[in-house]
Amino acid sequence: MLKTTVPVGVAFLSGIALMVSFFFRENTFVGSISQDLKIWLTIVGGFTLLLGVVSITRVNWQAVKNRKEGWGYKLLTLVSIFAMAIPAILPASWSPLFGRNPGSIYHWLFTYLDSPMMATMFATLAFYIASAAYRAFRARTAESTILLLTATVVMLWRVPMGEAFLNLFPGNIPEFLNTYVMNGANLAVQRGIIIGAALGAASMSLRIILGIERTYMGKG
Amino acid sequence: MSFWEKAEQIDRRWVYLMVGLAVIVPFIVPAEFPISITPESRMLYDAIEELPDSCTVMVVFDYYPSTIAECEPMTRTALHHFWRKDCKVITLSNIPLGGPSMAESVTREIAREYGKVYGEDFVNLGYKANYVAVLSGMGTSIESIFPTDNSGTPLSEIPMMDSIVNYEQVSFIFEVADNATADYWVSIVNAQYGVPMGCGTTAVSAPKYYAFVGSGQFVGLLGGMKGAAEYEMLVGKKGKAVIGMGVQSLVHLLIIALVILGNISYFVLGKHKRRLS
Amino acid sequence: MSGWEIFEIWVIAFFTLALFSFMYKDNPLYKVAEHIFAGLSAGYYVGLIWDTVIITQLWDPMIGGDWLLIVPGILGFLMFARFFPKYSWVSRTSLAFVMGVTSGIFITSQLHGLVLKQMQATMQSLGGGGGFGAALLSIIVVVGVISTLIYFYFSKEHTGVLGVTAKVGIWFIMISFGAHFGYTVMGRVSLLIGRVQFLAEDWIGSFKYIF
Repeated sequence: MLKTTVPVGVAFLSGIALMVSFFFRENTFVGSISQDLKIWLTIVGGFTLLLGVVSITRVNWQAVKNRKEGWGYKLLTLVSIFAMAIPAILPASWSPLFGRNPGSIYHWLFTYLDSPMMATMFATLAFYIASAAYRAFRARTAESTILLLTATVVMLWRVPMGEAFLNLFPGNIPEFLNTYVMNGANLAVQRGIIIGAALGAASMSLRIILGIERTYMGKG
Repeated sequence: MSFWEKAEQIDRRWVYLMVGLAVIVPFIVPAEFPISITPESRMLYDAIEELPDSCTVMVVFDYYPSTIAECEPMTRTALHHFWRKDCKVITLSNIPLGGPSMAESVTREIAREYGKVYGEDFVNLGYKANYVAVLSGMGTSIESIFPTDNSGTPLSEIPMMDSIVNYEQVSFIFEVADNATADYWVSIVNAQYGVPMGCGTTAVSAPKYYAFVGSGQFVGLLGGMKGAAEYEMLVGKKGKAVIGMGVQSLVHLLIIALVILGNISYFVLGKHKRRLS
Repeated sequence: MSGWEIFEIWVIAFFTLALFSFMYKDNPLYKVAEHIFAGLSAGYYVGLIWDTVIITQLWDPMIGGDWLLIVPGILGFLMFARFFPKYSWVSRTSLAFVMGVTSGIFITSQLHGLVLKQMQATMQSLGGGGGFGAALLSIIVVVGVISTLIYFYFSKEHTGVLGVTAKVGIWFIMISFGAHFGYTVMGRVSLLIGRVQFLAEDWIGSFKYIF
């Protein structure tokens, strides 16, 4: 019972409460219950993020402890986790270097190491997308030719030099692209996908509340 | 081995080098082209212009540091735009990696330019986990979801928040996102509480959000660096996005050239026939 | 520019170039940067969650008298049972709570905020007015939405009218995905420009203070 009935019951009751609260005002009993549950969710949600960090720490610690290949790098990861986390946890009232405010170690490490490194990691995608476009973007079928032509014209349109080039041709191509491609065909497809995905999300939510969908519980 | 066969088997690092050069060269030899304004950016600008002076707005930093090049020019320009109208600005973030820190740095830097005082003219609520609960919960009470601001000061001690209870006191929300949080701002906040909303997003996400502009759920849209550059032009604060657009052209042309080259070799080498047979 | 500011710029430049070095080939410098980045990102979560969730959302209100918050606190701690295979089932209740509340919000918000609004906008576009261009656009949107939905409808075989409509749908989808690709290229290049902008302006700009 504890393993399945209680979790299914919790999902059912909390889900129903939130669903019903949509039709009630905030200052009603149902409204206040749902607000409390939302506050609780922000707390439990925070723990789920910590779960990920504990997992990373455990995996890296095991690798260092067992001297697995590349354990030196894993040690660097562990040191970085603690270098970032410990000064942030210590109260800012002890020293301006602690806590999360500007001027703290945490803020400095984020601004001058973490943030630029993350930006650089994603910047490398520009190289990969160029290489992929060169190697794999082929007019193999009628459909892929439509995709290729649209992509090429949109790429031209979105940069000043390309737009200047498109304006050399008769008719207002940039306006056509914005009106009939982006706000026409593209909008229609995105709308179709949004409607389909939202219906899917709503039906999946209903399955979870009713206890039909239980895969999130995992095995065991 | 023919030229086209060699071209097919070129080491990927030569492509990387070409891309690198195409980005670096325009910094050495800058070329300026006029940046046209798309209707979606104009609509966003006009909607903000029409807001009453001194109203309360939200600027949401829902982007990771990875997309700072596209998104930060949008939040910066929006802060200039709002503070020219003397608006009260509430910032927050649903991004656990960097969002609240970026909001803190950017708002404080621009606030100095306008002589804005923290707690009176702007507040950074910071971050709370689970954005679905956060967005929905703020509809009843902002303070119950954010008992303190990002620095730990209770909201009850912040003068600006005295008169702000929930979305009813917020005139406009400018959501800058590089992920699906914008969908939830639309489906939860705009749909249920009717707060007008504009969106700035990465180029990757922009095509999707045309659907929300078409349905009137977003009053306007800034798509990627181009959208950010357009907004900078409209507000009259040329910044990194306008400079970036000058650089962007050459790389796009290079990628188009690579696609054409790749397709020529595909047909010249007869691979399309092999595929058909 | 102070010595400390120059140091900060050089720190960023060092790690930026270290990560870019992977473009040539994998190397120890890249690995060092990569692992530091992973560690700092994980550490960032700890600092943020500790402050914004555990202290301000849980601990402070609880000692202020809101003892009911012990329930989400316990649910949160139960999550860690996942690390102990024998007791991992204990975390199910916490997960069920997260899934239940999120689902409860989702059902109404997805249907009311997305499905109805998007369908309404599609139907209203047929309302007329605006001349030939607007009428053409409305037809494109309506045909596009219906054919896209049919393309993704897999409960019936795509033959006959359904097959033709699905074929039209795939053309629409290709146009949209093409536009997506064009925008994606722009997005990725923008991120690279951001980094090169830093190197060209800030880092190389700092040379004059050193050399």
